[in-house]
Amino acid sequence: MAFGVIPGMALRHAEHLCPQATFVLPDPEAVERIRQLISSALYDLAPVVEVRAEGLAWLELSGVARGGESIRGARHRLKQAIGREPRLGLAPGPFSARLAAARARPGRLLRVDDAREFLAPLPSCELPLDAEQLERLDLLGLRTLGAVATIGPRELESQLGRDGRHAVLLARGLEPDQLDPWQPPMFTSAHRQFGQPVEDREALLFVARGLCSDLADELGLRGAGAKEVRARLVLDSGDTEQRESVVRHPLSSTAELFGLIGSWIKEWQPRAPINELWIELPVLEGAGRRQLRLWAGGDGSSDEVSAALERLEDRFGDRVVRKPQPVLVSSPIPTERFA
Amino acid sequence: MQAQDLDSAIDSIRLRFGSQALTRAAALPPPQPWPTNTAIDWLTGIGGLPRGRLSLLTGSGTCGKLTVALSLLARATQEFAHAMVVDPGGFDPWCLLPFSPELSALTVVSAPAPEIRGESAAALAKAGAGFILLMSGVPEHWLGPIESGANRSGSVVVEVVDAPDRALAHASSFSVDFSRTRWLRERDQVVGLRVSARCTKNRVAPPLGESVLDIRYPIWPQQLRDYRPEIVEVPIEAEEVVPRASAAV
Repeated sequence: MAFGVIPGMALRHAEHLCPQATFVLPDPEAVERIRQLISSALYDLAPVVEVRAEGLAWLELSGVARGGESIRGARHRLKQAIGREPRLGLAPGPFSARLAAARARPGRLLRVDDAREFLAPLPSCELPLDAEQLERLDLLGLRTLGAVATIGPRELESQLGRDGRHAVLLARGLEPDQLDPWQPPMFTSAHRQFGQPVEDREALLFVARGLCSDLADELGLRGAGAKEVRARLVLDSGDTEQRESVVRHPLSSTAELFGLIGSWIKEWQPRAPINELWIELPVLEGAGRRQLRLWAGGDGSSDEVSAALERLEDRFGDRVVRKPQPVLVSSPIPTERFA
Repeated sequence: MQAQDLDSAIDSIRLRFGSQALTRAAALPPPQPWPTNTAIDWLTGIGGLPRGRLSLLTGSGTCGKLTVALSLLARATQEFAHAMVVDPGGFDPWCLLPFSPELSALTVVSAPAPEIRGESAAALAKAGAGFILLMSGVPEHWLGPIESGANRSGSVVVEVVDAPDRALAHASSFSVDFSRTRWLRERDQVVGLRVSARCTKNRVAPPLGESVLDIRYPIWPQQLRDYRPEIVEVPIEAEEVVPRASAAV
């Protein structure tokens, strides 16, 4: 890049290389928005996903059947999101995974099987301690994580307080920290206030479609779907009329949202001209409950399939549905083979 | 003139309801495939059976369609949380055992009445069962709900039928017709059959192809667990095409 300034460089160093540069301070809102976007992009790759504003993302892959696919997916999506190859680390816990990723080459995965062995030669300044505590560690001669790991947690606790105990556990690869899982947002809405009260149904449908499109775009960015939909009309008389419905499959596209809301509006008979139209999605969830695809195809709809089978049994009798269980498979009598 | 009217109607619909209101079939994305690791994958042109669509295995008499269907069902039990068989009442899970199924994922819906079969299949497709095997026909008016339910949930729906009626043929997205070309014999014993699997309809990808399969049966009594039916794809070149060629002449 120009003047040798590269991403990730310290601000002071960059200023030294390019004194005429204008430095823009971080925008917390934009950072949070990007954090949400990256979180939603990674949401379906692992049961627990945490993304931090400082550019770190963790995926908890324990129990995930196809962990390799999740890692490849994370690499691909992060590259798309940030425009650069991410560094990847695979380790037994978040601390060692972070350090592994920091030491991986861009676009490559550094895998750590034995966290303690991997951490031992690394400098103790990698521990999440403040400058004073790190200086004390240095004075104590504990300059590597291996050295920190050899002393007892209580001994360092007596020197540094609770952080000392925590530092020893980290240095030993015991990973005392848990990830803070990202949850998709739960509520969103869109509304339009009319300049003149509206009586024309076609106009209302037109506006509703536009609102549905806006909401669908937002849901797409968040990786969410609407589990409950509510449409509210604020009438010229000051009254409010509303309809709401809980849907079985989360709705996330314009067609799905407008399919439901449009059908309401087509038969709605408001008592007065309409001043405002609100479309609210009070209950959101991961679109298609995507995380459940991590284990087996169709797991996401297990409850619904079971409910459908129960309804069939109610309507047509218990004998309609059976789950064959082997009893005496080698029996020559077919009825004895399965329960 | 008609083409102009049609274009004008399409434009007015798009203007009023948005550009996505009408889409040409050719512009639609192909359905997601469910790889079966059989010759069927090649015939579909997308690398597997299409999710969210109805696929047909047809053929009269002993032609291997049921064996292929059972192998698909067994694989589905291993890959999906729910694999369903909707049959008129004669399905015996025993015939599935040679294919090493995961029985905990298998559910059999026994419905002698076609109406119940149709309703069951539509309800299960809508609910999102991963794989549904229809062992017999369903009434015409249930084909639409089955198709739309599967399309929404992404279920793989396969129907085994001797000869599809017009409605079923129309509703299906992919059809393979099986026909037995000859019996396979070893030491004067029938050990299986060679079948031709021909794609007769494909709405998910352009090519219509043909494949030849060898389906091998056990030749003497064996313990069930020792017997594993084989379905082997045979290179087309190796197939004896002389009788067919002479018939054409």
